Amino acid sequence: MTKSLYTFKENLAKKGVFLCFSGPISHDLMVEMGDVLKLKMQLQEENISTILKVFSLLIEQTQNIMFYSAETIPEPENANNKLHLGIITVSYFNNSYFVQGGNKVKTSDVSRLEEKLSKLQKMSKEEIKEYYRAQRRLTSPKTSKGAGLGFIEVARKSSKPIEYHFKKIDDQFSFFSLKSTI
Amino acid sequence: MKNLVIEPTKYTPGINFLFDERVLEISGESYPENTAEFYSPVLKWITEFLKINESKTITVNIVIQYFNSSSSKIFMDLFDLLNDKSHEGLNIIVNWNYLEEDDNMLEYGEEFQEDVDNLKFNLVPRKSI
Repeated sequence: MTKSLYTFKENLAKKGVFLCFSGPISHDLMVEMGDVLKLKMQLQEENISTILKVFSLLIEQTQNIMFYSAETIPEPENANNKLHLGIITVSYFNNSYFVQGGNKVKTSDVSRLEEKLSKLQKMSKEEIKEYYRAQRRLTSPKTSKGAGLGFIEVARKSSKPIEYHFKKIDDQFSFFSLKSTI
Repeated sequence: MKNLVIEPTKYTPGINFLFDERVLEISGESYPENTAEFYSPVLKWITEFLKINESKTITVNIVIQYFNSSSSKIFMDLFDLLNDKSHEGLNIIVNWNYLEEDDNMLEYGEEFQEDVDNLKFNLVPRKSI
């Protein structure tokens, strides 16, 4: 691992990945990642509007993993609470920022998620905003731990249509990844 | 009723609801671990507050730098509560403060403004938040 760790790091750098975490994600960890992201972007002298957009995508996509990842471990202090596992990266490449999040999902949930995401992918900016406002007025769906607006928010803030992918691992689980662009 | 004062954290806003003055302020950032849990006492306080028969103007100051999508729903619920009450003739002002250069926050403010048909919803640009 030691020899190949350098190669791994270089591969990340080649793709412009400057923030990357893979493992169990706690709320505190997410908050700290957010702080580091803001600092890094301030050092790059990005304007505040861009910083807040990328920050918000990091938060939404990380919270998506924290709410919905099908891969969990119990919290050390409190076995009733679970930590959700996933991977989150932020990269800067060809003058754009990319936030990518990935986590395991139940294969049985894939078609429902795919339906939601493909709908969003095809919408114009205006349509996404209208959809966001309409959904916000509804009570949260039973499958939702937040307001059910997470994906719509990501699609809304992304300057290009969101990209997503589902990779089947086995009958029980698939791997879901989502990419947004600023 | 007592004032509702909740200190801000990195990811939950400061709540400063003054009963006598009828000035309610929510400021900071909003991306709680459990949105429903954090905002439950806030919405409860407002619901009780709005039941009281008093004609003096209510002023709501929102001074938020960032809020996540779950918080967005809570804000909509909050503005709906206020909007419904304002139909009874009560004067309710909402000041949506936003960082001048943040076109996103302005846009969200404009959308809330369009979604409430009776509140005096002001968009207030600020040089810093």
